[in-house]
Amino acid sequence: MIHIVSQLLSAFVGALGFALVFGMRKRYLFAASLGALLGWGVYMLVDALLGDVFLPSLAAAAFALTYSEMMAKALKTPATLFVIPAIIPLVPGGSLYYTMSYAVHRDIENARLFGVRTAESALAIAAGISIVLAIRELRTKRQ
Amino acid sequence: MDRSSIYDQHLLLDCMLEMGELLLDCGAEISRVEDTLERVGKAYGANRVDVFVIPSLISITLNFPVTIPVTETRRISSTGGTDFYRLEKLNSLSRECCREPLELEELRGRLDRVAAGRKPFSVVLLGSILGGGGFAVFFGGTLWDGLAAAIFGAGICLLQYELGRTKLNTVASNLLVSLLTGLAIGMASGLIPGLHMDKIMIGDIMLMIPGLAMTNALRNMLVGNTISGTMRLAESLIWAGSLAGGFMVALAIVDKIF
Repeated sequence: MIHIVSQLLSAFVGALGFALVFGMRKRYLFAASLGALLGWGVYMLVDALLGDVFLPSLAAAAFALTYSEMMAKALKTPATLFVIPAIIPLVPGGSLYYTMSYAVHRDIENARLFGVRTAESALAIAAGISIVLAIRELRTKRQ
Repeated sequence: MDRSSIYDQHLLLDCMLEMGELLLDCGAEISRVEDTLERVGKAYGANRVDVFVIPSLISITLNFPVTIPVTETRRISSTGGTDFYRLEKLNSLSRECCREPLELEELRGRLDRVAAGRKPFSVVLLGSILGGGGFAVFFGGTLWDGLAAAIFGAGICLLQYELGRTKLNTVASNLLVSLLTGLAIGMASGLIPGLHMDKIMIGDIMLMIPGLAMTNALRNMLVGNTISGTMRLAESLIWAGSLAGGFMVALAIVDKIF
């Protein structure tokens, strides 16, 4: 339980940091960081149900984009503002580090394992986003 | 205003190129830049607007009724960070233009003001501290690791700011920053017991990783901007490589010492 809370809170703080680095205005900060917290919640949920890296990342990225578009509509500002902070916790910084670390220690097997993991996460994020974009495009084109 | 005069058409083109360059510099997606410029062109009375944007070039051709088409291109050399502060201003400015075209001199002045406005450095510094610290804890570090990552995050921010002024290219500056950061974190966690080097480094890697550039690249490809997508993807892979290279050298050196 403590682990879950600390994960959610640190995702929130980390995303808040990024929103500040990118120069976001004060009034959007909370909504943007909340997106990261909720997105990571989705990740943990899917992870608990199905395991693996690919599907949780995909689901969380799809959620992040949907959330961002809703917020963008409500606050009348580009969705990019919310997408970027919400996706930050999904970026595979950890896997990238362990890939490098194992490579330096000549542990090629583990390096390969984490390398694949890094690529898988990156691909899953892109796939999650594009699925939502494709659905939205379908709906707007039909109208 | 008589927009058929050559002078006005060139002024409009100049404004549009400026707007496009600023949008790219703020990290806007290619399709957004093309879309925005096309709308602005139409709002000023062009009956056909051809905009071509890739990360390093913008080309715009305006067709007005009666007169000969005018074309101008601009070479873009900025690598485009993410800047919500100016992105939002540009967004509202372009919307305003589309609702009711501003006088060109006024548009030019407003663009210059957006270009001059920067996000305050203190906010970026605070963000780096929270980002580095937050993600060190997020990836399984203790609060002490978070604190250390926050301090090094501030260091990275200052270093990047200083290097940014020297106009060093991204690959070289990534290599340098990641090497120095890796060495500093390695030394600190070797000397101070209880700190986890891996978690601290991960937190600070998050600050530099081009994960967003990569995601944007893939998004560009998926909406049909294949040239820009592949360009950005190659670019971000090279940046990630330079980042990894710097950290790997640092890890190897730290390994030999401790």
